[in-house]
Order: sequence, then C-alpha cells, then structure tokens
Amino acid sequence: MADKSNDPVALWQTMIGEMEKGFNAFANQAMTSPQFSKVVNQVGGATAGAQRQLGELMEKYLLTMNLPSRAQMVSMAERLASIEGQLNEIKALLHQMHGNSATPNSAAPAARRPPRTKRPPSAGGEQK
Amino acid sequence: MNAGAASRPAGFDLASIPERIQSEVQRAIQRSIKGVEYISTSGPSLGSTPKDILNVRGTMNLYHYRPVVDEIYRIPILIVMATTNRGYILDMVPGQSFIEFLLKRGYDVYMLDWTAPKPEEKRLAMEDYVLDFIPDCVRQVQRDSGETDVTVIGYCFGGVLSLLYGSIFAGGPMKNLICFTTPVDFREMKLFQNFSDRRYFDVDHLVDSIGNVPPEMILSSFEMLRPASRAASQVQLWENIWNDEFVKSYRMFDRWATDTLPLAGEYFRTITKDLMWDNKLYDGTMSVGGHKADISKIKVPILHAVAEHDHIVPYDAAKPLILKVGSIDKEEVMLKGGHVSLVAGANAIRRLWPKLDSWLSERST
Repeated sequence: MADKSNDPVALWQTMIGEMEKGFNAFANQAMTSPQFSKVVNQVGGATAGAQRQLGELMEKYLLTMNLPSRAQMVSMAERLASIEGQLNEIKALLHQMHGNSATPNSAAPAARRPPRTKRPPSAGGEQK
Repeated sequence: MNAGAASRPAGFDLASIPERIQSEVQRAIQRSIKGVEYISTSGPSLGSTPKDILNVRGTMNLYHYRPVVDEIYRIPILIVMATTNRGYILDMVPGQSFIEFLLKRGYDVYMLDWTAPKPEEKRLAMEDYVLDFIPDCVRQVQRDSGETDVTVIGYCFGGVLSLLYGSIFAGGPMKNLICFTTPVDFREMKLFQNFSDRRYFDVDHLVDSIGNVPPEMILSSFEMLRPASRAASQVQLWENIWNDEFVKSYRMFDRWATDTLPLAGEYFRTITKDLMWDNKLYDGTMSVGGHKADISKIKVPILHAVAEHDHIVPYDAAKPLILKVGSIDKEEVMLKGGHVSLVAGANAIRRLWPKLDSWLSERST
C-alpha cells in the first residue's frame, strides 16, 4: 500500500482541508472588525427597506398577472412537505404493520401503550 | 540503491502506481454515473419514525413517537427543537435516528417541532414560546402519558427556551433537563456579536421592514461563520460521489442544514436586544412576560452536552450554564465533534447517545 504522505489524492484532500481551515480562519479574523459589521449592516439595512418595497410591488404585479406570489409558493411548498411527511409516515406504518403481521398476537401499533415499569440497568432492568 | 530510488521520497511505492491509477479511473467512471443519479433522484426520506401529531397550532407542532418496546420508563421526554431548524435532525434514517435510539432504549418520546411562522405570526414573541407553547406541550404530554413528571431535552436555542421555561416554572413539572450545545453567555458568541453590533445593526428597522426574519438571512449568518466550508464540502462530495454511504449522509445533512426556518419578528427582536446586546440570561436579569427568568432557580438534575469543535456555540458561551443553574445534581460533558455532529451521525451514535442513555435511565423511574 502506498504511503499516505506521498499519495497524490491524499495530498490533494489534505490541501483542500488546509485551504478551508486557512480561509475560514482568515475570514473569521476579518469579520471580527467593527468595519465589517458597519458595512454588512449598512448594506443589509438598505436591502431590507428595498426588499419590503419591492416585495409589495411584486405582490401587486403578480396579482394583476394572475400569478402566484413567492409567499403563496412557499405556503404550497410547506403543504407539500407536510403531505410528503405524512406519506413517509404511512410508508413507515405500512412497513411496521407488514412486520407485525408476520408475528401474530402482537397488538396494533397505534393502540400500544406499554407499562411504565422499566428499570435502569443498574437497578436490574433489562437492556436490550 | 540506484539514483532513481534515491531521488524518490521515503515510502513511495512504485508497484502501487498502476493499482492506484486503475482505482482512480474506476472512481472517475463511478463519479460520472453517480453524478447523474445524484441530480435525478431525491435524497433519503427523513423523519419517518412513526408518530402521532398531538397538536398543531401555528408554528408549533407536538408529536408523540410510538413506543417500540414492551416496557417503557415512567417519565416521558419532551424534546424542544431549536426554532431555526427542523426536528428531523434528531430523526434521520433508521439506524441513524436519535428518536429511534431513545424508543428502542425504552423512553416515551414527544417532540415540540416548529414550522415556518407565517407573515401574520410576525408578532409571536418570546412570551408565546416560553409561557404558552412549551407549557401547553408539557400539559399535553402529561395528559397523554398520564404522568406528572416530564424530562425536557433542548437542542441549541431549544435549550435556551427550556432554560427560560425551567427558571419560570421552577416548581415543576419538569423533572430533569438535558441541554445540547446551549449558549448562556452571548458575549462569547463573538462573530454573532459582531454581526449584530448595536452601533450598526438596526434590529427595529429590520423587523419593522420585513416582519419575520427570512430563512436566507439565518442560513447566510450560519454560513458566514465558516465561509469556505460549503465550497469545500462540494469538492468533498464530488470526490466521494462513488461512495453511496457518503452521498446518503451528505444529502441528509445538507438538506437539513439548508432547510432553515424564518424567525418570528418580535421573537428575533427580543433575542437580539435581551440576549445578544444585554446578555440578560447570563446576568440573571432576563424576564419573559413580566416573569423573572433566572436560571439559578433551576434545581432539577441537569446534563449539558457540549461539542469540542462547536463553531456556532463556542464552549465559552455554553460553559456558564452548569455553573449558574441551582441544581445539585448537574453535569457537563464535552464530546468530540461539532454543533451538529454532536447530536446526529456516526459521532453521536458512538458518543452522545450512550452517555445520555446512561445518565437519563437512572433518572427516569
């Protein structure tokens, strides 16, 4: 096996890692200066005001064009994510039910309320 | 020894070169195939441990995860997720899910998770989170489980909310408190301090202008802490795209990291003014809705897990938690890893999860 210190791929990976660390450290150093904060917040403050006005204008424009706004799209994405989540749950539930059907006499998962009697291993409780 | 061998660095093995070239060519081919697959497929489905939704109210979601063992500990757990991120970081895929781990170890698990506050929820304030959402969830956990005592686990800012809740409701019903990477001394969050420098950062103007703080702003403030890391991680992804396990893990964490939530405007205003600017949690002068929230009032057993290489919540910001709470039974554990790898992924499976189980099992009966 080749020595890692001479492996060009390993050297490349080390170099990327070191560059990342070096750049992060350098940028962090620069970001601690008050000048950085001043510039970023001046730009951010101006952007926030402009963003609000532009957002209101765009809302009106999109309404006129009979097109959905970003907020509506985000809301729709939220609903889709929620549906996706519910589908995943159904999939997991079906999977679990399928598993349970292989072992008759087991209770339905939703109805299971195991007793709250478990003891910690130090008190002789079983640790599976 | 010949001249060629003498000029080669020590450990350089000529015989391994063809083997290495062959391996790299194979990986290059795999990269092309898998690269197309990566673009055309979606990532693994996350957060699929079976659960019931007990309550959804605006930005608040309360889940109960279905027990998977025949006998459980008496005291249920309520996990309070950070308000900036989704709870599925604690429920990745089977085998890498903290929730699944807890269920298999016999805990009864509930989670208070958040969705994006809607524009009309911009007035949600710290009071809503600490005096309404958390107490409401605790009551529902009590009702659903039939138990009076509840263990609370808070991750990152979920830990801050849990501390505020625990200090105001010091008489109970919180029985144990576990915090993961929870800041208390906000002066020590140096970069966030500079981003929100009160001389230049006009939080009132921001909140009054845009209402809720957009997720892009939250995400970019996290990414600015390590500005080169996103580019470097993409290089890493390309190098390892032939490796299915690496890609699966990358997709899970990348999806979660970029799935940042907006923050309700009023809530953000309080975080900035009371915590970032005035450091009231650390000074013991914090109050929420007229209730004094002094963490020295917390007397329940508490475990605080912190990460050695946490770039979001540096150790100096988290360290005072254990020193300042009034509990006698208190422990801080510092583990290898970063802000996220402390709680999820291979590092967490080996380190944090077993530690938490051994601490909590003794206090859950």
